[in-house]
Amino acid sequence: MAAESTSNGERLKQGAPGGGGFFQTAIGRFSARNWALIFLFIMIVIFSLGSSGFFDIVNFQNIIHLSTGAFLLAAAELLVVITGGIDLSIGYVYGLSSVLGAKVMQILYAGGAGGAGSMPVWQVIALGCLAALSVSILPGLANGVLVTRFRVPPFIATMGMWGICNGITLFLADGFMPVMGAPSEINAIGNSYFLYIDPSKSISFFAKPSYITQANIRSVLRLVPNSLFLSLAVLLVLGFVLGRTRFGKHTYAIGGSMDAAIRSGINVNRHLVMIYVIASFVSGVAGLFNLFQTGIGNYTPSGANYELMAVAAVVIGGASLTGGKGRILGTAVGVLVLAVLENGLQIIGVSAFYRYIGVGVLLTIAVIIDRAFPDLF
Amino acid sequence: MQTETAEKQGTLPELLGRNWIALFIVLLVVFFSVVARSFFSFDTAQLIFFNGTEVFLLAIAELFVIITGGIDLSVGFVMGFATVVSSKLMVACVALGFSPFWSILAASVVTLLIGLVPGLVNGWLVACLRVPAFIATFSMLGVTHGISELLTQGIPTKNLPALAGDIGNGSFFYVAPGGAISFFSRPQVARGQTVLAIIPNMVIFAFLFIFLFAFILGKMKFGRHLYAIGGNIDAAIRSGINVKRDLIKAYVISSLFASLAGLSYVMKYITGKPDAGANMLLEAIAAVVIGGASMAGGSGTVGRTILGALVIAILETGLRIIGMQTFMTYILVGVILILAVIIDQVFPNRNR
Repeated sequence: MAAESTSNGERLKQGAPGGGGFFQTAIGRFSARNWALIFLFIMIVIFSLGSSGFFDIVNFQNIIHLSTGAFLLAAAELLVVITGGIDLSIGYVYGLSSVLGAKVMQILYAGGAGGAGSMPVWQVIALGCLAALSVSILPGLANGVLVTRFRVPPFIATMGMWGICNGITLFLADGFMPVMGAPSEINAIGNSYFLYIDPSKSISFFAKPSYITQANIRSVLRLVPNSLFLSLAVLLVLGFVLGRTRFGKHTYAIGGSMDAAIRSGINVNRHLVMIYVIASFVSGVAGLFNLFQTGIGNYTPSGANYELMAVAAVVIGGASLTGGKGRILGTAVGVLVLAVLENGLQIIGVSAFYRYIGVGVLLTIAVIIDRAFPDLF
Repeated sequence: MQTETAEKQGTLPELLGRNWIALFIVLLVVFFSVVARSFFSFDTAQLIFFNGTEVFLLAIAELFVIITGGIDLSVGFVMGFATVVSSKLMVACVALGFSPFWSILAASVVTLLIGLVPGLVNGWLVACLRVPAFIATFSMLGVTHGISELLTQGIPTKNLPALAGDIGNGSFFYVAPGGAISFFSRPQVARGQTVLAIIPNMVIFAFLFIFLFAFILGKMKFGRHLYAIGGNIDAAIRSGINVKRDLIKAYVISSLFASLAGLSYVMKYITGKPDAGANMLLEAIAAVVIGGASMAGGSGTVGRTILGALVIAILETGLRIIGMQTFMTYILVGVILILAVIIDQVFPNRNR
């Protein structure tokens, strides 16, 4: 019976395009494994040849800067996907954190900047961050408890949390209004660069030279946006945790085979709760940074599909939705593929709407390649 | 067989546990009637069904795929795609000189035909290329979103024939004060007199299709095959079911119902836009799960899914009547969705 069952499974798999001769060679296997990276390079070459504005350090930094949220959300999603689950709530935890942080800062700051008895600005910002970050843990905790103690499928638990977070965010945002009134200092943190070089005069760190105004800021060479540090820090820490620690090994083990993980003595329930909490927290950090970048608390618009875009990046980066597979580096490449696609299409003047189609096509290709070479990754 | 009947009779708490959804609907109606006196009326009941048409249709769309153990993330944007295609076609037909009625009919039929294509591709990807349903339908979400944005260029379609709105917001029959009944058109009455409108056209339109497919799912061999596929795909293959063909059909039906929801939207709101159904995915899946279907496949019925969708429709309309904002709907749908799964684990065997 068992043999027959596998042969049926095999027969179904036959439908996938088989790896022909080329893909048996070393180069073939390499290109199949790293197709996303190769695709990224090809895109960069095409966009660079197709327009003058694309291949430019300012544009590249722009891409990185605008993808901060995507990097963090995708990293959060990867953790959950490796365990074989899925987290659909992260996009709305992102919005919740952004709006809550803005709301707290708005209320504390309302006394008037520098007015008598008002709080120092740094304290306002710190309390706002603290509130947003501590609340952003809660959805993850609830997800984890629901998935482990109540045996609710991750899809349903996190989809319910999507609704709950979205509702609370819209309540805080007073209907569909971005939350204004946070101190403007946060913009300086979110949008400044590590290095400012004025070719003729000076170099300064973290803040633009005082004689430069917003109007002539373009004459200064700005390098390494602060957002890059945040993305790198999160990606490196999570990459280290996944690749080098016991916690990471257990994460892959749970995704590979839940039963084997339980039998080998891993406290699977506690581990899963931690995974959902970390995912939720990282999404909260992403939402908070969105507040720092834009200066206003943005709720997640319906149909934005941040969480699905994160899943897309994770899958393009080589992870499998059945769990046990996926790396931070691949996920970062996945995010870059989507970001470069969007940015490049805009710059060469193709309607940006093609990117939705592009994402769909890429995602399907990713899975078909994954199916065709199950042992590659 | 014997154990099943024994379980069916069960004790009172078990009976309530299995039918909690009906109990919950009663509680909701009592709650809203107490809070807002105007809630408990025939008009509100009609309004609930009228407002909920799209949720009902999308829930059925989702049901067919969830029974097979899959998921269709694209229903919301296939619906948006259908609103764009049908409204554009209506405008084009009228511009070509056709009468409004024939323009609407032709545009609707063509839209339903075009609306089969996303489902066909989804089904092909899932059944033949073994792409996970989540990924395949998410890709289709992107593709339909992109195409409809390209078609509209960011501007919702306008200038639809007025007849579309008359059909969409009209009712099956009207009772004038004297007792005269007229079908499909509102009778002319003196100012100040009220005309009783009975059964909105769009509700009839939706439930014609829902009843038809309830029959197909419940009574025909194809329906049984879908449950078999969702229950155990290997067993289904071994028992000689043409799994690939039936899976493709399930996705095509899903896509068809999403397009029907799109048509209903166009008739009601006389406009077409890509994100018409963007926030309805949660509601559609929630309706199916509240209706007792398992995401693992193999269970779920049209009747219970309609009950699940009814919970959401009552919540939406009720909360609006008592003056709560949209955010409460999101929170409550989320909470009920999670509770539904937990209750079903305490009281298994609710379905089938």
